[in-house]
Amino acid sequence: MTVFGVLGFASPWLLLGLLALPILWIILRAVPPAPIRRLFPGVVLLLGLKDDEQVSDRTPWWLLLLRMLAVAAVIIGLAGPVLNPEDTEEAKGTGPLLVVMDASWASAADWRARMETLDGLLGRASRDGRRAAVLQLTAPEEVRFIAADALRAGLTGLAPEPWTPEMERITEALALLPSEAFDTWWMSDGLQRESRSTLLEALEDRGRVTVFESPRNLLALEPARFEEGALQIVAHRLRAGPEVEVTLVGEGKDPAGNDAILLRSPIVFGSGETRAETAIAAPAELRARITRFEIQGNRNAGAVTLPDDSLQRREVALIAGREDREGLELLSPLHYLEKALIPTADLLDGALTDILPANPDVIVLADVATLSEAETEGLLEWLEKGGMLLRFAGPRLAASDVSRVDEDPLMPVRLRAGGRTVGGAMSWGEPKALAPFDEDSPFAGLRVPEDVSVSSQVMAQPDPTLADRVVAQLTDGTPLVTRKRVGQGQIVLFHVTANAEWSTLPLSGLFVQMLERLAVSSLAEAPEAAELEGTIWQPLRVLDAFGAAQDAGTLPGLPGERLVSDPLGPDLRPGIYQGEERSLARNVTSIDASLAPAVWPDRITVEGLRAPQETPLAGWLLGLAIALLLADVIASLALSGRLRGPRAAGPAVVLLALFSLPEAGFAQGTDADDRLAIAASAEVVLAHVLTGDARLDELAEAGLRGLSDTLFFRTSVEPSGPMGVDLEVDELAFFPLLYWPITPDQPTPSDAAYAKLNDYLRSGGMIVFDTRDADIAGFGANTPNGRKLQDLARPLDIPPLEPVPEDHVLTRTFYLLQDFPGRYFGRDVWVEASPPDAELIDGMPFRNLNDNVTPIVIGGNDWASAWAVDERGQPLVQLGRGYSAERQREIAARFGVNLVMHVLTGNYKSDQVHVPALLDRLGQ
Amino acid sequence: MSADILTLRRQAQEEASAFPALLARAEQLAGTVLLGEHGRRRAGMGDDFWQYRPLRAGDSYRQIDWRRSAKGDDQFVREREWQIAQSVQVWVDNGASMRFSGDKNTPSKADRARLITLAACILLLRAGERVGLTGWSLPPRSGNVQVLRLAEMFSSDDEADYAEPEARGIIPHSRALFVSDFLGDITAVENALTKAADRGVRGLLLMVLDPMEESFPFEGRTIFESVGGSLAHETLKAGDLRERYVARLTERKARLNDLCRLTGWQFNVHHTNTSAQSALLWLWRAMDGSHG
Repeated sequence: MTVFGVLGFASPWLLLGLLALPILWIILRAVPPAPIRRLFPGVVLLLGLKDDEQVSDRTPWWLLLLRMLAVAAVIIGLAGPVLNPEDTEEAKGTGPLLVVMDASWASAADWRARMETLDGLLGRASRDGRRAAVLQLTAPEEVRFIAADALRAGLTGLAPEPWTPEMERITEALALLPSEAFDTWWMSDGLQRESRSTLLEALEDRGRVTVFESPRNLLALEPARFEEGALQIVAHRLRAGPEVEVTLVGEGKDPAGNDAILLRSPIVFGSGETRAETAIAAPAELRARITRFEIQGNRNAGAVTLPDDSLQRREVALIAGREDREGLELLSPLHYLEKALIPTADLLDGALTDILPANPDVIVLADVATLSEAETEGLLEWLEKGGMLLRFAGPRLAASDVSRVDEDPLMPVRLRAGGRTVGGAMSWGEPKALAPFDEDSPFAGLRVPEDVSVSSQVMAQPDPTLADRVVAQLTDGTPLVTRKRVGQGQIVLFHVTANAEWSTLPLSGLFVQMLERLAVSSLAEAPEAAELEGTIWQPLRVLDAFGAAQDAGTLPGLPGERLVSDPLGPDLRPGIYQGEERSLARNVTSIDASLAPAVWPDRITVEGLRAPQETPLAGWLLGLAIALLLADVIASLALSGRLRGPRAAGPAVVLLALFSLPEAGFAQGTDADDRLAIAASAEVVLAHVLTGDARLDELAEAGLRGLSDTLFFRTSVEPSGPMGVDLEVDELAFFPLLYWPITPDQPTPSDAAYAKLNDYLRSGGMIVFDTRDADIAGFGANTPNGRKLQDLARPLDIPPLEPVPEDHVLTRTFYLLQDFPGRYFGRDVWVEASPPDAELIDGMPFRNLNDNVTPIVIGGNDWASAWAVDERGQPLVQLGRGYSAERQREIAARFGVNLVMHVLTGNYKSDQVHVPALLDRLGQ
Repeated sequence: MSADILTLRRQAQEEASAFPALLARAEQLAGTVLLGEHGRRRAGMGDDFWQYRPLRAGDSYRQIDWRRSAKGDDQFVREREWQIAQSVQVWVDNGASMRFSGDKNTPSKADRARLITLAACILLLRAGERVGLTGWSLPPRSGNVQVLRLAEMFSSDDEADYAEPEARGIIPHSRALFVSDFLGDITAVENALTKAADRGVRGLLLMVLDPMEESFPFEGRTIFESVGGSLAHETLKAGDLRERYVARLTERKARLNDLCRLTGWQFNVHHTNTSAQSALLWLWRAMDGSHG
């Protein structure tokens, strides 16, 4: 390669071709643009006119220059120019080269950039003829130096791993280092690790070490916690900097079961801060559906955190003592509980003995007094394992002997007989309100609404333990909610009913909040390592270094204690692990982790990922040459007059197409619409509704064509060819008349199409329905076509109808008619009824009828067949034989003419009724 | 031999097929003007009515005006005002230059000229005039059959580039209509007009031009050829010629206009990209205006 400054050439001798340019200049200059021959009658006026200048028989200099530039670009491009050729002596090394890659999750975010850099470096190494090897610290393998080119080909196989190279791996890697001397390029992930110095020393013993680090800031996300009624999420960044806002995204299934982004929240890193946190108050139901949090736009496993069961829905079993009284929904003891829990929990229903094996998280007993021995035992066993029993009082409990003398194992307190009623019709005193909650109560901090009052309750016997067990009380100090712990579980008793009979508590929002606080609808801290001893956890989904969750497949299960405490590695991948009862998440970033940037000794060179890349310019130059030649084509066309002026449509269109290709597809829809609009509105156009039956549509078109021809020959209405109209797509407003033949099996238009049709009718359009069965006029709606017509017309805005009266304007808009035959000589044709007050004035030939055009004409005479003509104007359908058939066809055509005239001129002919009066007024 | 006959027959059929289309379009065009005439009529100012006269022997019953006759015992015939038929002789340029059309969307000049002329002829014939061609090929006659004869005459083409106006055989004191692009030798036009004027013939000159002949939208090196191929002119920069060409064309029009003023004719220019109806309306007005 020959180098001039920043430019190098692969085959510099090709540049000699540039010497040929002046010769080309002379040749090209001598060839003028070819003349165009044009026919032009006005030539007689041109004879004798002389051209002003004589220069343009030669190619103009700027066109020559353009061509020269194009040729020069081709020559230089073929010579293989390279910008920034990287073969400066100083960067050259000898000997083998080891590329050490951290390849942890922290490298994943800009893995592509790393690979490109590495590719460039190896390209340089291969030009220098060096051997190279790659050592991936997260998964060390034996180091074998091979030709850099071969290594370069295998680069795509390298992928980061979702853990970091801790001491164990480094030791492994140290053992794998070859003994010979080599230079090292270390692609660092930028995180500080103790293990770095050990490895660095070992590498420096073997040769020179250069470190490459991305200047990009790294973000990580701690696992989500649920505290104080909100999701708490902490984010970290590697290097402090100015204030930055990132977006936290929670993904999960939407109610339809599709993956969706369920919540979005900004996290703001303050200026100079490396830690930021956000609290998201999401509804429990939403929270439970989230399967993944991530920082948007950050592709690495550290910026992803998977929530486990702690945000999941809980199973709640509801059991009522009293059978529901049919129809009294609001009195059902479980009604308010169901309403409160359905959004946040899965409800179980059934007998207690059936429910217990399902191991629900919570069992609710509403006014259940006595339980069988087996049930009691089962409940106690379940409570020991961490169940939660929530009981509500009620008339039954108050009337029973449960927990009177001795404390029932399933009740938190002993109860006094009978309970009490305050504020009732037969008692003194007011209904009691709730006292504010104590600090140590699970309800602490909830606001007590003023309108919550208690009118009845069961009373607790004073006991030494009572004070500890009360978690909520009334203003007079009597307990409202009491709680007792049993094993890992607990029993909670509300001293009122779960419905609104005894108190208004279930009606208030406080009730829902209390349930939530009692963890009926949420849950559970992470277990300790000790608790997990001896359990085996099976991976469900694991993360790769880029943060994408993958099915765990056949990865082996893990002992519980390792799951919590061991560092991540090939055996313990971040992901979701399933145990017997619950699942646990193991995330890349743990709670209270922090990110620290790597610190390198001063003697080590640290480079960014962007070395000046060598850029081959050949492609650009050849592209430029093509662009120049294109410009030359345009310029030549323009110069010879073929671009502008007459008959230039061809080249101009080609050029336009070349330059406007991207937009062309875009505008097609509106173009087609416009074309239809222009075609339909430039002339009068009759239209028929496309029924989907090809034969019928053809016939309808032929019919309208025949009618159009008749109009053209006989009247001053000169329609162009008829159009078929798709009700769903096409605009109707352009058409004065829609001919709608009915078939029993045509599709019913959509609501939008009906809306359009109604608009059309209201704004003066006319629809001619033709059942084509000669029968509708008798209102024998028993033909399939008649029934279909009724179906089709039902959503239409149709006024009252009547058979065409003798003096209807339709009988005289152009021809005087009394019959309206088509192919059939059917009976009545129906039109909009004349107003009831229309009267026949004495001496007038007809009544003074409605001013409007009838929006609807209904008949069954199959007019289209009678009108139909083929391309040569011959009738298509035979109506009968002889003169009578011709007469019928003629009358049918006249009816068509009248119809169109009626649409176009309205009641013009009806106004003739005033002619005598007008003449009278004029004095004639 | 038989091949010749077949070719001839096919050509004849092709020619003939163009002729009804022209006729139909001309009828259509004429119809629009008749309708337009109706629209301009005012109450009480009937133009056509001249007088009622008693029924004479030889009158058919169809001519009786029954409304008038019912008022008394005599029978009356309604007479029209314009009873005396005039002769109108037309000449349509059928030279090769007329077969030019600058754009595929505009009709050729010949097509447009024939259409307008035939429509005017139809109108005249309906009004009872006698219409024929100048020269001796088709003397003026009245009646509908004459329309067919005219249409037939119009469907022949000439090979020469620029046809000369035919002023022979013009009946003195009749009226004439010349339709052409008048790009050919102007002296021929001059001669024809003076000859006609000498015989007391007045008439109309309709210049039919393609819009391209008006605007001269050419650029670059071009060889211009006449349609027949008899003339050619080469230029290196067609754009530079535009102004001078337009000036010459304007001068030509002014000359024709002057000529018309001198001879008592009327002159108008029609462009093929505008509606034929406007030209026809002008023709009809100009004809009508001079006899009324």
